[in-house]
Formats: sequence, structure tokens, C-alpha cells
Amino acid sequence: MSGPIGKPTPYIDGVQKVTGKAMYTDDYRFPNMLYVGLLRSPHAHAHIKHIDTSAAETYPGVAAVTVGTDLPISFGILPISSDENAMAVEKVRYVGEIVAAVAAETMEAAQKGAEKIIVEYDPVRAFIDPGDSLEVCDPAEQIHSHTKGGKNIHKTAELRFNEPEKALEQSPFKRTESFKFAGVTHAFTEPHSTIAIWNGDETLTVISATQVPHYLHRNLSKVLELPMHRVQVKKPALGGGFGGKSDPFAHEMITAYLSMITKRPVKCTFSREEVFINNHGRHPTTIDMSVGCDQDGIITALDTDTIIDGGAYGSFGVVTSYYNGVLLQGPYKIDKLGFRTRRAYTNKSQCGAMRGHGAVNPRYAMEVILDMLAHDAGIDPCDLREKNFLEENTVTVGQLRITSNGVRDCLQAVREKSDWDKLYGKQPYGRGLGIGCGFYISGSALPIIWNRYPQTVVHAKLDFDGRIVMFSGASDIGQGSDTMLAQIASEELGVPMNYVQLEVADTKTTPVDLGSYSSRVTFMVGNAAKMAAEKLRNEMAKAIAKEKDVSADDIVFRDNKIFTEDGAVDISWEDGVETALAGRGAIVESGYYFSPKMGGDFKGSGAGLSPAYSFGAFISDVTVNPSTGSVKVEKIWAAHDCGKALNPLAVEGQIEGSIHMGLGQAVSEDMRYVNGQIVNANFFDYRIPYSVDTPDMDVTIIESNDSEGPYGAKEAGEGPIHPVLPSIGNAIYDAVGIRMMELPITPDKVLAKIQEKG
Amino acid sequence: MGHYFRPTTIKEALSLASDWPGNYKYFGGGTDLQIYRKQKLLNNEAIIDLSELDDTCSIKADENSMKLGAFVTLDEITTSSDIQTHFPLLAEAAASVATPVIRKTATMGGNLLVNNRCTLYNQSKEWRDAVGSCLREVGNICLVTGGKDKCFSRNVSDTAPALIALNAVVIIHSQDGKKEIPLQDIYARDGIKFHDHLDEDAIVSEIRVPTKPASWWFKKLRLRKTLDFTSLTVAATVDSAGIARVCLNGVSMSPVLIEESLKKLTVETVIKKARKNCKTVDNDLMPLKYRREMINVYLNEWWKSK
Repeated sequence: MSGPIGKPTPYIDGVQKVTGKAMYTDDYRFPNMLYVGLLRSPHAHAHIKHIDTSAAETYPGVAAVTVGTDLPISFGILPISSDENAMAVEKVRYVGEIVAAVAAETMEAAQKGAEKIIVEYDPVRAFIDPGDSLEVCDPAEQIHSHTKGGKNIHKTAELRFNEPEKALEQSPFKRTESFKFAGVTHAFTEPHSTIAIWNGDETLTVISATQVPHYLHRNLSKVLELPMHRVQVKKPALGGGFGGKSDPFAHEMITAYLSMITKRPVKCTFSREEVFINNHGRHPTTIDMSVGCDQDGIITALDTDTIIDGGAYGSFGVVTSYYNGVLLQGPYKIDKLGFRTRRAYTNKSQCGAMRGHGAVNPRYAMEVILDMLAHDAGIDPCDLREKNFLEENTVTVGQLRITSNGVRDCLQAVREKSDWDKLYGKQPYGRGLGIGCGFYISGSALPIIWNRYPQTVVHAKLDFDGRIVMFSGASDIGQGSDTMLAQIASEELGVPMNYVQLEVADTKTTPVDLGSYSSRVTFMVGNAAKMAAEKLRNEMAKAIAKEKDVSADDIVFRDNKIFTEDGAVDISWEDGVETALAGRGAIVESGYYFSPKMGGDFKGSGAGLSPAYSFGAFISDVTVNPSTGSVKVEKIWAAHDCGKALNPLAVEGQIEGSIHMGLGQAVSEDMRYVNGQIVNANFFDYRIPYSVDTPDMDVTIIESNDSEGPYGAKEAGEGPIHPVLPSIGNAIYDAVGIRMMELPITPDKVLAKIQEKG
Repeated sequence: MGHYFRPTTIKEALSLASDWPGNYKYFGGGTDLQIYRKQKLLNNEAIIDLSELDDTCSIKADENSMKLGAFVTLDEITTSSDIQTHFPLLAEAAASVATPVIRKTATMGGNLLVNNRCTLYNQSKEWRDAVGSCLREVGNICLVTGGKDKCFSRNVSDTAPALIALNAVVIIHSQDGKKEIPLQDIYARDGIKFHDHLDEDAIVSEIRVPTKPASWWFKKLRLRKTLDFTSLTVAATVDSAGIARVCLNGVSMSPVLIEESLKKLTVETVIKKARKNCKTVDNDLMPLKYRREMINVYLNEWWKSK
């Protein structure tokens, strides 16, 4: 590569962000703007008997009041579970659910106005524990009327291949273990914020902190009954998503509606407490998992039964249910595999997608059990993993197509760097090493809503000024996709990065991209951007070749120059632009990305399909204080196969961020509830590790050069979280000989286990 | 609308207080109280900011004694070389409070008078309204214990146990004049009225420590290494005459002091006294059983370290 691809490249928006100049949604102000005040339910589960809005309507400063029946059309990220309303209709299903809203001249008037709305409720039995939701209940107590069999089960996902239970019975070594995981949430920095503007031409513009402008566009159109060509969604600078901004949200519908009826700009920004109430985080989960292996440590079968606590609405839950099972098909070869996941509706705010979606908790269970089997069979845990790794260019039992695979290199790197062979099992009591591996999709191969379009389209435009503008719907949520677009155009056209400018994440001016979820952007948008830039270069080369009478294939674009090796052409970029545009003016070229056809033909076969998979192996070094049970993670060695690091700085940042986030779920973070109400809805009581709690990190980037990824690239944003948690759990075993089956691993649980062991 | 005052003399502050009876709150740095205002746990209209009061911002510490103005920031305490040299127990206790940024604003006096906390009380108004009852606010049943007559909210000051172990006294001003009382006497074993010997308008202006201990010990229990309020703080000193002062906080409505000659003490008796005097209930994010166990673990550690 002669350009910036593969070189550490600071984010193009980095300086703007760290100097406070970047404009986030809440930074925008418009003339005559109104503010939204929300009234939320104090009940976990209740019928709404009556709403009296009269006192709110006459409250000074209030411009409009709205309730659930004004927007009766339901929505949701998945068409198969569009079970939410903008505001509760007839029933509330969790404490904090939005019941009514006002738009007012000031934030204070909005809040006070909302408080004037009087709601009469008729509470019914609330389901807090997902176990209760699995039982038949009084139909009047059912959370949603559409669930089957009189139970509150949202979805049962189940697949079985080659009778795993039989193979388990015959396995020389077998472990059946139960695990419990608290819910965790994304804890991004920027709270949710939305501004809606009803334009003079009867179109709607929504500026929102969203990872999915496209799906927000579709859902706004549906709920507001506005044709899609009259809805525009724009994503400005965004302060973190991690999956927590990947659903269309109630407050976005409400804000847009209030703008429509008042014909004024309207803004809604959440408090931190509201962000926690909105949640959509990782599901609280219980897992019963069985894994067997033979005398040589070869895995014979895996069977798992999982319950995930979905909260009151669907969100991504159907996908989460499948991911809890299908994403156990790697990085090890397992030919006999079965799973069942039941997603329970409960009267708490809904869970959804969060970094490593659906696969983080089962990964912990799997890696801990593998560790146990290794000890049972007398095999080193790293050796046992190596024996079982999938090869590259293979197909799993559930028809996942594995292409490039650098997992062996990952394991070897961390094993050497951590001095594993010398230290594992040999350190003094209280100090230990642990291994964890993982893999993850590099973009969901199937779109959420079936359609005949590509998964993304990118335009590259060149005009007389010599600048290249890349038009992409991709949403930079801090992961660096804007920088990647600029890098690719710069690489392909041989111009410095500052010749490339972007128009991004605006559903009116940019072609559709499905959004920043499932780690799809580098792979899919990267390929489309590369194609668009290549086509633009070819158009230029054709024109220059004609004028200079050389072959277009011989023309090189590099170092801001256009030339042939023999010197027949040697012109500046600007001269090349003039030649290329002569007689025709600006050039716009398009690139696109379609996933290849893949997968089996059974129900559920689409879940987990991806054009490529990332792989990783991490080793943690921990110290455990046996008298207090406190765990200190001293160091983590991380090796991740991202195919090719387009921007090694960004990849390293994603791996370090994953370590930090994984550490939080492993040792301190949890969503705590009292009667279904979140107790720790703030950054004080929701305990994210601080810098002083964060271990040393040693990051190794493994490049397996994927044959279909742009320049060989795969994902790096979600895969690296999976190995973090089990590597910590397994290190605690090496340190003090206890198995932590419940997360977060807080000192009280560690101490209890140490005492139990005696 | 709120009213904000920044008096420069104690007299002026007391006069402002009398202008706003029952409707004002004194501020040191405000790092604790601002959250109470945001959560609508405090609804006073007037704020009387005491951080500019004359003669309340100095540190004097030598090998014999220590004198601290109440409005010295916690950061100034932790970074003072005199305190680090002569009273490292206090430097360490102050450094364990909150985060470096908060310590730049939070004051010594403010930390001594930090409000008692409870998981089910320190919540937003909407949260409390949804839950319903709380003895300390509205309602007649304690949500933590199910009891009807006693609130067990926790005193969470980290500097209080350190200064009590150091035998500190505080200088207090009110309309009734100036008085000097032992620090431990300003705390009451009551989760709702958790201060004693403090008139409503009382201002703590100064903290005095008469002598330097022969030895000291300090430890704070929390999940993270920064920010968290304490789940258990133990500060202990032994003076030249062999008198031990062990003070526990974060596990009861007020700091719990055990003062006894080492000759009469065993580790078992210290633990027994501590466990008896701490009214520890399940009102912290750390589980109750664990916090109780840690009292034993910490006191054992202190005992061995002597």
C-alpha cells in the first residue's frame, strides 16, 4: 500500500472531538425550538384506566401534549417483533415506560407540564424474574397478548445437529455446569438526543444520536404514516453506541410527532437516569451447558439450554436468542451441537444488542467448561484449544462458512508473550493466568428487512476543485468509519487524506447503509467505498490514457501525481482532474456490497451467517486476595485476527476498549433492580472500571488477509470482547482454584467460593 | 428561582441563615449536596456558600499537633507535605475520598458532614415516587428492613473515622456562640437525624488534633479503586500510652469508636464490640453478609499490623 491503508492514522474527527468543537445532537439549537418533557410510568405492569391532560395543556409554556393513542402504530427494529409503541397504549409494561409527553418553550416548563398529566392505573401482577415468565399465567396477567401457550415467552430458538445428547453420554470426559450473568448496559458517554424539524415543504428532518439512520427512517415513516420520501434522518457526531443506539426509539417517534403537530423544531435529550431506563443492554442470562471431550481432548459435543431476560419488548431479542446458540460453532470444530434459548418477557425495560451481541455470555460458559475439561483430561488448556480449532476455509455444522482464520497465530502470540508454558499452574497461591478464545461475525450476511438492494452503496464524486467527496450512509459512532472512508479514497486515488471529504449518515443525501451494528461497516462499506474509488480512478485513467495515448492500465495514481512508469505521463493530480472532467464535468461513481449466498436451508439457518469471521485469543494475569476475595487483573495479552488492520491505531483502540468493557462485565458492572426498578441508574452506582482499575494491555494484531474483505480486512469492534471475560474467570481458577459461575465476579462471591472450598 | 450567597465572615453567614429559616443549606464544595438538589432530596431556595469564609482555609501541622480550616479542600489535605509527614493517616483517608477532580472542590468540613446514604433513598424523585415508602422521606415503612421506627442510613465519611481515631475536636459557631467538642460527639446513631450537638445554623470552622499517635492504620472497602463511597472504612491509632482508638464507618448510622488500652484488648473483643455497635443493614450495593465479614477481616488485619 502506498497510501494510508495499513498505517496508523489518527481519526479525521479526533481533534474536533477532543477540543469540544464537534457538534453532537444536543449541541444543535434552532429558532423557536421546543423541548420535550416525558411522563413515565411508576408501575411495572398496569392497565391505563384514564389519562387527564387538561392541566398540562393549560400549563404556561406548554405548546402540545400527546398520549399513546395518538400514535397507535407499533414499531421495532425487527419486523417480526414490532411490539413497541411511542407511548404506552392501554398498558404500561415497565417502570419508566413513557406514558405521555409535552412540548414546551423551556425544559423546565416541559418537565413541569408533564408532571401535571394525571394518569389512573390499575396494576396487575408484575413479572420480574424470567423464571416466572416461563410458566402459564392468568391471561389477564400476560405481558403481551401475542405470546403462545399462556406464557410470557417471547421466543424459543432451538437447533440441534447430530444428536449431541447421545455423544455426551458416551464422552469419557463431560461437564454440565450452570452459569448466571447479570444484565449490563452500554454506558456510552453521550445520552440519547433527538431533534425533529417539520420543514416548510411538509417534510420531516430528524437529527438523532443513532447507529441506524436507515431503520429509524423506516420506522418513523411507519409510525407517523409519512411516506419515506418525506423523511430525512441525519446522524451528527455521536458519543458512543455499543449497540445502545441501534434500535429506533420511542422518544424519536414522540419528538418527530410533536414537531409535526406544532410545526416547530423540537428537542429531546435524556438524563443519564433515562438512558439507564431506556437500557436495551445485554440480557441477564442463565445458561446450563454440557460439553464433552475424548481422551485426547477432542470436543465430542455441546448442548446448552439458555434463558435470557428480555424485558418488556422485543428489540433485537429474536436475533439474541439465536446468537446465544449459533455463535458457539467457533472457534472450535464441534460436529454435534444443540441449543435452546428461551427469551422471556418481563416487566423491566427491554434488553437488546450490546457489543458482542448474544455471544459474550455463552462464550464465557464455553471457555470455562473447556478449561475444566482440560484439567479433567490432564491437558494444558491452551493445548486443548489448539487441538480443537477450526481450520480456515471450512464449513461448520450449522453451515457457517469460515474463510480466513488466524486463531492459531492468536493463541501462539499470547501464549509466548505471557510466558504461559513456564507460569501456568506454577505460580504461588493467589496469582494466576487464564486463557479465553473467541470469534465473531464480520457483518450479518442478511439484512434485517428482506430486500433486493445491496447492503450498502457508496458514491465517490470528483469535481473541478480536485476534491473527492465520498457519500456514504455509514454511521461513525466513534469506531472510525469516517476515517476509513477517507483512507480508502486516498489510497485508491493517490491523493493526501485532506483531498477527501465526506457526506455521511444522512438519508436524504447519502445512499442507504444499513447501519453500524453486527460489526459490518469495515467489511461492507469498506468494499463498497473501494469499488467506488476504483471506478472513479478508472474513469480518470481512461480519459488521461486517451489524451496521452497510453494504456489506461499503465497509469499510476500515487503521491498526489498521475504517471506511467516509463514517464510518458507525469502530471499533477489537478491536471489529471482537468483532463478527466474535460467535456463532461463532475464524475460520480458508485460502489456497492452484496454478501455472497451462503447458509443451510433449515429454519434459523440465517442466524450467524457472515461473509467472514474474526478470531482472537487473550490471556489474563490476575491476583486474588484470599482474605477479602478481591480480584485485581494485572495484565491482559490480547491477540485478535482482524484480517488486515486498515488503521492499526483504530484496531488497537477497539481491542483496548473491548478489554475495558469486558473487564467491567467480568468484575463490577451489573444492572441492579428492586421490584423491577433499576437501583443504580447513574455512573456512580453503575460501576464501570476506572483508569486505576484497568490492567496493562498488550495488544497483538494478527492479519490473516481475508480474501473477500477490503484489502483483506475483517472486523475488530466486537470480536475482541469475547475472550476477555473467560480469560479472567479462568485466571482466577489458576490463582485460587475456584470456578466463578456467576458474573460480575465481585469480591463477596469470590470469598464465598474460597470459603466453600476450605 | 434560587438564591446564592457567598459570605466572607461567620457572622455574616449566621445572619444570612437567620434570614432564610428552614429554607437554606450551607455549602462547602457542594459536591455532595448538588446531587441531593438534582434528585429533589433538598428543596431549599437559598445556598449559603461558606468556601470564602475568612480564616478557614489554612493547614497547620507539625510533629505535635494539627489545625485545619474546615474549608480546606480534600486535595489540599492529601497533597500537604506537613500532613503527609506528621499525620499520614489523614492524608490517606482524604485521598480515598471520591476522585482527584472532586477532591479539588470537596472540603474537609463538607466530608465530615456528608449526608448519610441509603441505596433506596439516594434516588431521583421519580424513582422514590414509584417505590413509595421511606421513613426518611415520605412513608412509614423502611424499605430496607421492613421496620417502622428506625432508619439505618449509613454515615459514609472517610475522613471522620480517621480524625476520630486521631482524637480530633471541632470548633462550631452558631447564634449561641462558639464551642469546642470532640468530633465523635457531632454524630448521632440515627439515620434521619444523624447529627448531634449541631444547631440548625451551626458552622464547623476548624478541626484540631491535639497529639500525634504512635502508630496508625487505615483501610477502605470499595469495589473500585476510586470514586466509590465506602462500604467499610476502618481507621485506627495507638497513642504513646498504649490506648487504641479504632473507628469504623460506612457500616452504621454514625462512626463507631472503640477506645481501649491495648493491655485490656484482644482481637476477639475488638471484633465483638465492633459487630455489636455497628447497626449494619442491607443498604449498600455491597452485600450485607460480606460487609459484616469484612469488619472481622479488617480488624484482624489491623491487629496483626500493630
